[in-house]
Amino acid sequence: MFERFTRDARAVVLGAVDHAERLDAETVEEQHMLLALLDREASRASFALTSLGLGGRRESVERALAEARRRGGLSRADTDALSGLGIDVAAIVSRVEEAHGEGALETPGGDGKSEGRGGGKGGGRSRGWWSGFLGGRPSFAQGAKDLLTESLRIALAQQDRHIGDEHLLLALTARPGVPAEVLADHGVTYASLRRVLYGGGEAKAG
Amino acid sequence: MTEATDLAERAGDRDPRIGLRAVSALRRLLEQLEAVQVRSARNQGWSWQEIAAELGVSRQAVHKKYGRQ
Repeated sequence: MFERFTRDARAVVLGAVDHAERLDAETVEEQHMLLALLDREASRASFALTSLGLGGRRESVERALAEARRRGGLSRADTDALSGLGIDVAAIVSRVEEAHGEGALETPGGDGKSEGRGGGKGGGRSRGWWSGFLGGRPSFAQGAKDLLTESLRIALAQQDRHIGDEHLLLALTARPGVPAEVLADHGVTYASLRRVLYGGGEAKAG
Repeated sequence: MTEATDLAERAGDRDPRIGLRAVSALRRLLEQLEAVQVRSARNQGWSWQEIAAELGVSRQAVHKKYGRQ
């Protein structure tokens, strides 16, 4: 699949690994892809983000992502659903932080779904105590893998021969979760992206 | 008891999407809380056996999940 990625798209994938390492995450997640997308300059995605007014608001996006990490990676839709059950996530976060320190719920490993994936010993979550010796880099969480698949699907549907960083960005907004929510809060949705990227089109997400 | 009934009602007759999302979010939250508590117990010198007993799982299960950290 990677041979179809443009230079910018590859840079996003590699950049996401760097962001995951910088944030000490055990796996590369969709939020790291978003951060890497924001690093791009003069690419299709950066053009689209700039047209939608995200240019100078990078810090605001980073803050929102950090906030979600602090809630254990739960999206607002998640916390709303839980509050429907009478569970106050903010209260839980603050109690846990009182007892265990700020950022205690921040996920090493993020979505908790990486456990046991990747198959075989050392696959998936391979950042054990020995990883320092092996120079192991974080592997891709399932959500990030699905994102790559989704970007391929979007590129094919668009009859584009290559997967560019704009397809990765579109895929992020097409999938439920923290990155899509944060982007939507900044005016970047699947529909608004399609408008600036392809003009007009009344395309539906999903 | 009324609280539990209330909760069951709300969880029952709502949009399934909301209910299912709540379950999935709760599972995530649970995983995070478990990680926090296991880490804390280890820092306080608890053995895997003791942690497993409190969690109601086997020592192997808890060690496999957290032992590498």
